[in-house]
Amino acid sequence: MTVAAPALADHAFLRGMRADDVARLAGAAVAVSMPAGHRLFDEGAPAEKCWLLASGHVALDLHMPGRANLIVETLAGGDVIGFSWLAPPHEWQFGAEVVEPAEAFELDGATVMALCDRHPELGYQLTLRMLGAAVQRLQATRVRLLDLYAPPGGAGA
Amino acid sequence: MIFQAVPARYRVASRAAETHDTVTLGLEPVDQPIAPHRPGQFAMLYAFGSGEVPISISGEPGGSGLVYTIRSVGAVTQALCEAGPGELIGVRGPYGTDWGVTDAAGQDLVVVAGGIGLAPLRPALLAALAARERYRRVTVLIGTRTPDDLVFADELDIWRGQGADVRVTVDRATVGWRGHVGVVTQLIDRLDVDPAATLALVCGPEVMMRLTARSLLARGVAADGIRVSLERNMRCGIAECGHCQLGPLLLCRDGPVVSYERAAPLLSVKEL
Repeated sequence: MTVAAPALADHAFLRGMRADDVARLAGAAVAVSMPAGHRLFDEGAPAEKCWLLASGHVALDLHMPGRANLIVETLAGGDVIGFSWLAPPHEWQFGAEVVEPAEAFELDGATVMALCDRHPELGYQLTLRMLGAAVQRLQATRVRLLDLYAPPGGAGA
Repeated sequence: MIFQAVPARYRVASRAAETHDTVTLGLEPVDQPIAPHRPGQFAMLYAFGSGEVPISISGEPGGSGLVYTIRSVGAVTQALCEAGPGELIGVRGPYGTDWGVTDAAGQDLVVVAGGIGLAPLRPALLAALAARERYRRVTVLIGTRTPDDLVFADELDIWRGQGADVRVTVDRATVGWRGHVGVVTQLIDRLDVDPAATLALVCGPEVMMRLTARSLLARGVAADGIRVSLERNMRCGIAECGHCQLGPLLLCRDGPVVSYERAAPLLSVKEL
Protein backbone atom coordinates (compact mmCIF):
# COMPACT_ATOMS: atom_id res chain seq x y z
CA MET A 1 0.00 0.00 0.00
CA THR A 2 1.35 3.43 -0.91
CA VAL A 3 2.09 5.86 1.87
CA ALA A 4 0.63 9.32 2.40
CA ALA A 5 3.31 11.81 3.38
CA PRO A 6 1.45 13.06 6.50
CA ALA A 7 1.29 9.50 7.86
CA LEU A 8 5.01 9.09 7.34
CA ALA A 9 5.76 12.52 8.81
CA ASP A 10 4.01 11.45 12.01
CA HIS A 11 6.47 8.63 12.65
CA ALA A 12 8.82 9.44 15.54
CA PHE A 13 11.88 8.75 13.39
CA LEU A 14 10.98 11.43 10.85
CA ARG A 15 9.32 13.97 13.11
CA GLY A 16 10.53 17.48 12.28
CA MET A 17 11.75 16.63 8.79
CA ARG A 18 10.87 19.08 6.01
CA ALA A 19 7.58 18.25 4.30
CA ASP A 20 9.08 18.06 0.80
CA ASP A 21 11.73 15.57 2.00
CA VAL A 22 9.09 13.45 3.71
CA ALA A 23 7.06 13.51 0.49
CA ARG A 24 10.12 12.23 -1.41
CA LEU A 25 10.56 9.40 1.09
CA ALA A 26 6.86 8.57 0.89
CA GLY A 27 7.42 7.76 -2.76
CA ALA A 28 9.94 5.10 -1.73
CA ALA A 29 7.79 3.64 1.06
CA VAL A 30 5.00 1.15 1.31
CA ALA A 31 2.81 0.53 4.36
CA VAL A 32 2.95 -3.08 5.47
CA SER A 33 1.02 -5.12 8.02
CA MET A 34 2.87 -8.12 9.35
CA PRO A 35 1.42 -10.95 11.42
CA ALA A 36 3.18 -12.53 14.37
CA GLY A 37 5.76 -14.99 13.13
CA HIS A 38 6.47 -13.11 9.91
CA ARG A 39 10.21 -12.92 9.23
CA LEU A 40 11.43 -9.61 7.90
CA PHE A 41 14.88 -10.92 7.09
CA ASP A 42 17.39 -13.61 7.92
CA GLU A 43 21.04 -13.46 8.89
CA GLY A 44 23.32 -13.44 5.83
CA ALA A 45 20.67 -12.35 3.31
CA PRO A 46 21.17 -9.20 1.21
CA ALA A 47 20.15 -6.10 3.19
CA GLU A 48 18.07 -3.99 0.84
CA LYS A 49 15.35 -2.44 2.98
CA CYS A 50 14.60 -0.82 6.27
CA TRP A 51 11.38 -0.39 8.22
CA LEU A 52 9.94 2.36 10.36
CA LEU A 53 7.93 0.43 12.89
CA ALA A 54 4.64 2.14 13.72
CA SER A 55 3.22 -0.45 16.10
CA GLY A 56 3.78 -4.00 17.22
CA HIS A 57 6.86 -5.73 18.43
CA VAL A 58 9.77 -7.14 16.41
CA ALA A 59 12.63 -9.28 17.69
CA LEU A 60 16.15 -9.24 16.32
CA ASP A 61 17.51 -12.74 16.61
CA LEU A 62 20.45 -14.94 15.95
CA HIS A 63 20.39 -18.49 14.66
CA MET A 64 21.68 -20.98 17.19
CA PRO A 65 22.68 -24.31 15.67
CA GLY A 66 20.43 -27.06 16.92
CA ARG A 67 18.38 -24.66 19.05
CA ALA A 68 15.64 -22.09 18.67
CA ASN A 69 16.74 -18.62 17.59
CA LEU A 70 18.02 -16.45 20.43
CA ILE A 71 16.51 -12.97 20.70
CA VAL A 72 19.17 -10.27 20.90
CA GLU A 73 16.96 -7.20 21.17
CA THR A 74 13.33 -6.23 20.66
CA LEU A 75 12.00 -3.18 18.89
CA ALA A 76 8.65 -1.44 19.14
CA GLY A 77 6.61 1.35 17.60
CA GLY A 78 8.74 4.41 16.84
CA ASP A 79 11.87 2.36 16.23
CA VAL A 80 13.76 1.93 12.96
CA ILE A 81 14.59 -1.61 11.89
CA GLY A 82 17.62 -2.25 9.75
CA PHE A 83 21.00 -0.55 9.53
CA SER A 84 22.84 -3.10 7.40
CA TRP A 85 21.50 -1.76 4.08
CA LEU A 86 23.56 1.38 4.72
CA ALA A 87 27.02 -0.13 4.96
CA PRO A 88 29.08 -2.89 3.33
CA PRO A 89 28.77 -5.83 3.08
CA HIS A 90 25.04 -4.96 2.87
CA GLU A 91 24.08 -8.23 4.48
CA TRP A 92 21.85 -8.72 7.51
CA GLN A 93 23.95 -9.54 10.55
CA PHE A 94 20.93 -10.74 12.52
CA GLY A 95 17.45 -11.95 11.67
CA ALA A 96 14.19 -10.19 12.50
CA GLU A 97 10.79 -11.68 13.29
CA VAL A 98 7.47 -10.13 14.22
CA VAL A 99 6.51 -11.08 17.77
CA GLU A 100 3.30 -9.05 18.01
CA PRO A 101 1.37 -8.03 14.86
CA ALA A 102 3.13 -5.00 13.44
CA GLU A 103 2.41 -2.05 11.19
CA ALA A 104 5.39 -0.44 9.49
CA PHE A 105 6.61 1.73 6.65
CA GLU A 106 8.92 -0.30 4.46
CA LEU A 107 11.58 1.71 2.63
CA ASP A 108 13.54 0.45 -0.35
CA GLY A 109 17.23 1.06 0.35
CA ALA A 110 18.40 1.67 -3.23
CA THR A 111 15.59 4.15 -3.87
CA VAL A 112 16.31 5.99 -0.62
CA MET A 113 20.04 6.12 -1.47
CA ALA A 114 19.26 7.58 -4.89
CA LEU A 115 16.99 10.17 -3.28
CA CYS A 116 19.74 11.13 -0.85
CA ASP A 117 22.22 11.53 -3.72
CA ARG A 118 19.84 13.89 -5.50
CA HIS A 119 18.75 15.76 -2.35
CA PRO A 120 21.69 16.22 0.04
CA GLU A 121 19.54 17.90 2.71
CA LEU A 122 17.35 14.78 2.84
CA GLY A 123 20.49 12.66 3.00
CA TYR A 124 21.88 14.77 5.84
CA GLN A 125 18.65 14.58 7.82
CA LEU A 126 18.35 10.83 7.32
CA THR A 127 21.99 10.34 8.31
CA LEU A 128 21.46 12.31 11.52
CA ARG A 129 18.41 10.24 12.40
CA MET A 130 20.05 6.91 11.61
CA LEU A 131 23.08 7.95 13.63
CA GLY A 132 20.86 8.98 16.54
CA ALA A 133 19.11 5.61 16.49
CA ALA A 134 22.44 3.80 16.27
CA VAL A 135 23.83 5.81 19.20
CA GLN A 136 20.79 4.95 21.33
CA ARG A 137 21.22 1.25 20.52
CA LEU A 138 24.94 1.42 21.25
CA GLN A 139 24.38 3.10 24.61
CA ALA A 140 21.67 0.61 25.57
CA THR A 141 23.97 -2.25 24.59
CA ARG A 142 26.76 -0.80 26.72
CA VAL A 143 24.43 -0.66 29.72
CA ARG A 144 23.50 -4.28 29.16
CA LEU A 145 27.19 -5.15 29.05
CA LEU A 146 27.51 -3.75 32.57
CA ASP A 147 25.39 -6.69 33.77
CA LEU A 148 23.87 -4.45 36.44
CA TYR A 149 21.69 -7.13 37.97
CA ALA A 150 24.50 -9.63 38.47
CA PRO A 151 25.26 -10.74 42.03
CA PRO A 152 27.49 -8.12 43.67
CA GLY A 153 31.15 -9.02 43.66
CA GLY A 154 33.25 -9.51 46.74
CA ALA A 155 32.08 -10.33 50.22
CA GLY A 156 28.63 -9.11 51.10
CA ALA A 157 26.35 -9.47 54.03
CA MET B 1 11.69 7.35 69.77
CA ILE B 2 12.82 4.33 71.73
CA PHE B 3 15.70 2.43 70.20
CA GLN B 4 14.61 -1.12 69.74
CA ALA B 5 17.99 -2.67 70.42
CA VAL B 6 16.72 -6.18 70.90
CA PRO B 7 15.25 -7.85 67.85
CA ALA B 8 11.75 -9.26 68.13
CA ARG B 9 11.67 -12.95 67.44
CA TYR B 10 9.76 -14.10 64.40
CA ARG B 11 9.23 -17.61 63.17
CA VAL B 12 9.53 -18.51 59.50
CA ALA B 13 6.04 -19.50 58.44
CA SER B 14 6.66 -19.86 54.73
CA ARG B 15 9.56 -19.97 52.33
CA ALA B 16 9.17 -19.61 48.56
CA ALA B 17 12.05 -19.73 46.11
CA GLU B 18 11.76 -16.81 43.69
CA THR B 19 14.91 -17.57 41.67
CA HIS B 20 18.04 -19.66 42.09
CA ASP B 21 19.42 -17.17 44.65
CA THR B 22 16.38 -15.33 45.98
CA VAL B 23 13.67 -16.43 48.39
CA THR B 24 10.61 -14.83 49.92
CA LEU B 25 10.09 -15.52 53.60
CA GLY B 26 6.83 -15.11 55.44
CA LEU B 27 7.37 -14.45 59.15
CA GLU B 28 4.98 -14.66 62.10
CA PRO B 29 5.74 -13.03 65.46
CA VAL B 30 6.78 -15.07 68.46
CA ASP B 31 7.05 -12.01 70.73
CA GLN B 32 5.30 -8.65 70.51
CA PRO B 33 5.30 -7.81 66.77
CA ILE B 34 7.20 -4.81 65.48
CA ALA B 35 5.26 -1.66 64.63
CA PRO B 36 3.28 -1.64 61.36
CA HIS B 37 5.37 -0.69 58.35
CA ARG B 38 4.75 1.57 55.38
CA PRO B 39 5.63 0.56 51.80
CA GLY B 40 9.31 1.23 51.14
CA GLN B 41 10.53 0.91 54.71
CA PHE B 42 13.07 -1.68 55.77
CA ALA B 43 13.88 -3.74 58.84
CA MET B 44 17.06 -5.23 60.23
CA LEU B 45 16.86 -8.99 59.99
CA TYR B 46 19.01 -11.00 62.35
CA ALA B 47 20.14 -14.47 61.33
CA PHE B 48 21.14 -15.78 64.73
CA GLY B 49 24.76 -16.79 64.74
CA SER B 50 25.49 -15.01 61.46
CA GLY B 51 24.61 -11.35 61.79
CA GLU B 52 22.18 -8.62 60.87
CA VAL B 53 21.29 -7.07 57.50
CA PRO B 54 18.84 -4.43 56.30
CA ILE B 55 16.08 -5.88 54.13
CA SER B 56 13.18 -3.97 52.62
CA ILE B 57 9.74 -5.23 53.43
CA SER B 58 8.15 -6.82 50.37
CA GLY B 59 4.74 -7.68 51.81
CA GLU B 60 1.56 -5.69 52.19
CA PRO B 61 1.19 -3.41 55.19
CA GLY B 62 -1.22 -4.61 57.84
CA GLY B 63 -1.47 -7.74 59.91
CA SER B 64 1.12 -9.08 62.28
CA GLY B 65 3.02 -11.15 59.72
CA LEU B 66 5.91 -9.86 57.66
CA VAL B 67 7.20 -10.71 54.19
CA TYR B 68 10.79 -10.25 53.04
CA THR B 69 12.40 -11.11 49.74
CA ILE B 70 16.08 -11.81 50.17
CA ARG B 71 18.88 -12.45 47.72
CA SER B 72 21.76 -14.56 48.85
CA VAL B 73 24.83 -12.41 48.35
CA GLY B 74 26.85 -13.08 51.51
CA ALA B 75 27.02 -15.00 54.76
CA VAL B 76 24.05 -13.40 56.51
CA THR B 77 21.72 -13.28 53.54
CA GLN B 78 22.67 -16.86 52.73
CA ALA B 79 21.71 -17.90 56.27
CA LEU B 80 18.38 -16.05 55.91
CA CYS B 81 17.73 -17.60 52.52
CA GLU B 82 18.36 -21.05 53.93
CA ALA B 83 16.02 -20.53 56.91
CA GLY B 84 13.17 -22.99 56.71
CA PRO B 85 9.69 -23.04 58.25
CA GLY B 86 9.84 -23.01 62.03
CA GLU B 87 13.24 -21.37 62.31
CA LEU B 88 13.63 -18.14 64.28
CA ILE B 89 14.76 -14.81 62.85
CA GLY B 90 15.25 -11.55 64.72
CA VAL B 91 13.55 -8.41 63.38
CA ARG B 92 14.17 -4.76 64.28
CA GLY B 93 12.26 -1.95 62.67
CA PRO B 94 10.54 -0.80 60.61
CA TYR B 95 12.91 2.01 59.70
CA GLY B 96 13.21 4.80 57.20
CA THR B 97 11.06 6.70 54.78
CA ASP B 98 8.32 5.27 52.59
CA TRP B 99 7.35 5.60 48.92
CA GLY B 100 4.44 7.93 49.65
CA VAL B 101 2.50 6.21 46.91
CA THR B 102 -0.75 8.00 47.78
CA ASP B 103 0.87 11.21 46.52
CA ALA B 104 0.16 9.79 43.06
CA ALA B 105 -3.61 9.84 43.63
CA GLY B 106 -5.23 11.39 40.57
CA GLN B 107 -1.99 11.04 38.62
CA ASP B 108 -0.13 8.45 36.58
CA LEU B 109 1.95 6.08 38.68
CA VAL B 110 5.06 4.54 37.15
CA VAL B 111 6.91 1.83 39.03
CA VAL B 112 10.35 0.98 37.63
CA ALA B 113 12.17 -2.00 39.07
CA GLY B 114 15.57 -3.44 38.32
CA GLY B 115 16.22 -7.01 39.43
CA ILE B 116 15.35 -7.61 43.06
CA GLY B 117 14.45 -3.90 43.26
CA LEU B 118 10.92 -5.06 42.60
CA ALA B 119 10.73 -6.37 46.18
CA PRO B 120 10.72 -2.97 47.98
CA LEU B 121 8.31 -1.63 45.36
CA ARG B 122 5.83 -4.46 45.71
CA PRO B 123 4.09 -3.09 48.84
CA ALA B 124 3.60 0.29 47.14
CA LEU B 125 2.22 -1.37 44.02
CA LEU B 126 -0.12 -3.59 46.03
CA ALA B 127 -1.36 -0.53 47.93
CA ALA B 128 -2.03 1.30 44.65
CA LEU B 129 -3.81 -1.68 43.13
CA ALA B 130 -5.94 -2.08 46.24
CA ALA B 131 -7.22 1.45 45.58
CA ARG B 132 -6.87 1.31 41.79
CA GLU B 133 -9.66 3.84 41.18
CA ARG B 134 -7.63 6.58 42.90
CA TYR B 135 -4.92 6.50 40.23
CA ARG B 136 -4.88 7.10 36.50
CA ARG B 137 -2.50 4.87 34.56
CA VAL B 138 -0.51 2.44 36.70
CA THR B 139 2.52 1.17 34.82
CA VAL B 140 5.09 -1.31 36.07
CA LEU B 141 8.36 -1.61 34.16
CA ILE B 142 10.65 -4.42 35.21
CA GLY B 143 14.19 -4.97 34.02
CA THR B 144 15.95 -8.16 34.90
CA ARG B 145 19.05 -10.06 33.95
CA THR B 146 17.40 -13.10 32.36
CA PRO B 147 13.85 -14.48 32.39
CA ASP B 148 14.93 -16.89 35.12
CA ASP B 149 15.90 -13.99 37.41
CA LEU B 150 12.44 -12.45 37.46
CA VAL B 151 10.99 -12.24 40.98
CA PHE B 152 7.23 -12.43 41.69
CA ALA B 153 6.84 -13.91 38.21
CA ASP B 154 3.57 -15.60 39.12
CA GLU B 155 2.02 -12.31 40.28
CA LEU B 156 2.47 -10.30 37.10
CA ASP B 157 -0.74 -11.49 35.48
CA ILE B 158 -2.62 -10.83 38.72
CA TRP B 159 -1.36 -7.23 38.70
CA ARG B 160 -2.39 -6.93 35.05
CA GLY B 161 -5.84 -8.20 36.00
CA GLN B 162 -6.03 -5.52 38.67
CA GLY B 163 -5.42 -2.77 36.15
CA ALA B 164 -1.66 -2.36 35.90
CA ASP B 165 0.22 -2.23 32.62
CA VAL B 166 3.11 -4.56 33.44
CA ARG B 167 6.06 -4.81 31.06
CA VAL B 168 9.15 -6.90 31.51
CA THR B 169 12.43 -6.63 29.68
CA VAL B 170 15.50 -8.78 30.07
CA ASP B 171 19.15 -8.03 29.42
CA ARG B 172 19.72 -11.50 28.05
CA ALA B 173 17.06 -13.69 26.55
CA THR B 174 17.01 -17.40 27.04
CA VAL B 175 15.74 -19.80 24.42
CA GLY B 176 11.96 -19.61 24.34
CA TRP B 177 11.68 -16.07 25.71
CA ARG B 178 9.31 -14.03 23.52
CA GLY B 179 9.15 -10.84 25.57
CA HIS B 180 11.15 -7.63 25.42
CA VAL B 181 14.94 -7.75 25.30
CA GLY B 182 16.79 -4.55 26.17
CA VAL B 183 17.39 -2.17 29.03
CA VAL B 184 14.51 -0.93 31.14
CA THR B 185 15.10 2.67 30.07
CA GLN B 186 13.99 1.73 26.56
CA LEU B 187 10.57 0.91 27.99
CA ILE B 188 10.41 4.42 29.44
CA ASP B 189 11.01 5.88 25.98
CA ARG B 190 7.85 4.07 24.82
CA LEU B 191 5.79 4.95 27.87
CA ASP B 192 2.37 6.55 27.60
CA VAL B 193 2.20 8.98 30.54
CA ASP B 194 1.37 12.56 31.31
CA PRO B 195 4.78 13.72 32.52
CA ALA B 196 3.34 16.75 34.27
CA ALA B 197 1.19 14.50 36.44
CA THR B 198 3.35 11.46 37.04
CA LEU B 199 4.92 9.99 40.15
CA ALA B 200 7.69 7.51 39.38
CA LEU B 201 9.03 5.08 41.99
CA VAL B 202 12.37 3.56 41.05
CA CYS B 203 14.36 0.83 42.74
CA GLY B 204 17.31 -1.20 41.51
CA PRO B 205 21.07 -0.95 41.21
CA GLU B 206 22.17 2.66 41.64
CA VAL B 207 23.42 2.99 38.05
CA MET B 208 20.09 1.68 36.78
CA MET B 209 18.21 4.21 38.94
CA ARG B 210 20.38 7.06 37.66
CA LEU B 211 19.83 6.07 34.03
CA THR B 212 16.12 5.54 34.65
CA ALA B 213 15.79 8.96 36.28
CA ARG B 214 17.62 10.48 33.32
CA SER B 215 15.14 8.87 30.92
CA LEU B 216 12.18 10.01 33.01
CA LEU B 217 13.55 13.56 33.12
CA ALA B 218 13.98 13.44 29.33
CA ARG B 219 10.30 12.49 29.09
CA GLY B 220 9.45 15.60 31.08
CA VAL B 221 8.83 14.06 34.50
CA ALA B 222 9.99 16.53 37.17
CA ALA B 223 12.85 15.54 39.48
CA ASP B 224 10.55 15.88 42.49
CA GLY B 225 8.16 13.46 40.79
CA ILE B 226 10.82 10.73 40.82
CA ARG B 227 11.63 8.80 43.99
CA VAL B 228 14.50 6.37 44.33
CA SER B 229 15.41 3.87 47.04
CA LEU B 230 19.01 4.31 48.10
CA GLU B 231 21.11 1.87 50.00
CA ARG B 232 24.28 2.30 51.99
CA ASN B 233 25.60 0.32 54.90
CA MET B 234 22.64 0.48 57.28
CA ARG B 235 23.55 -0.72 60.75
CA CYS B 236 21.71 0.90 63.69
CA GLY B 237 18.54 1.91 61.84
CA ILE B 238 18.05 5.04 63.98
CA ALA B 239 20.60 7.47 62.56
CA GLU B 240 23.09 7.07 65.40
CA CYS B 241 26.03 5.12 64.01
CA GLY B 242 26.62 7.02 60.76
CA HIS B 243 27.43 3.97 58.65
CA CYS B 244 24.73 4.81 56.11
CA GLN B 245 25.73 8.42 55.58
CA LEU B 246 25.29 9.84 52.08
CA GLY B 247 26.40 13.46 52.25
CA PRO B 248 23.94 15.21 54.58
CA LEU B 249 21.64 12.18 54.67
CA LEU B 250 21.61 9.27 57.02
CA LEU B 251 19.77 6.82 54.84
CA CYS B 252 18.35 4.66 57.60
CA ARG B 253 16.39 7.74 58.74
CA ASP B 254 16.30 10.11 55.72
CA GLY B 255 16.01 7.23 53.24
CA PRO B 256 15.87 4.69 51.84
CA VAL B 257 13.25 6.47 49.72
CA VAL B 258 14.55 9.85 48.60
CA SER B 259 13.28 12.32 46.03
CA TYR B 260 15.52 12.33 42.99
CA GLU B 261 15.67 16.09 43.28
CA ARG B 262 17.51 15.56 46.54
CA ALA B 263 19.41 12.46 45.52
CA ALA B 264 20.75 13.54 42.14
CA PRO B 265 23.47 15.93 43.36
CA LEU B 266 24.64 13.34 45.90
CA LEU B 267 24.79 10.48 43.42
CA SER B 268 27.09 12.47 41.16
CA VAL B 269 29.75 12.82 43.86
CA LYS B 270 32.25 10.00 43.42
CA GLU B 271 33.46 10.14 47.01
CA LEU B 272 29.96 9.46 48.33
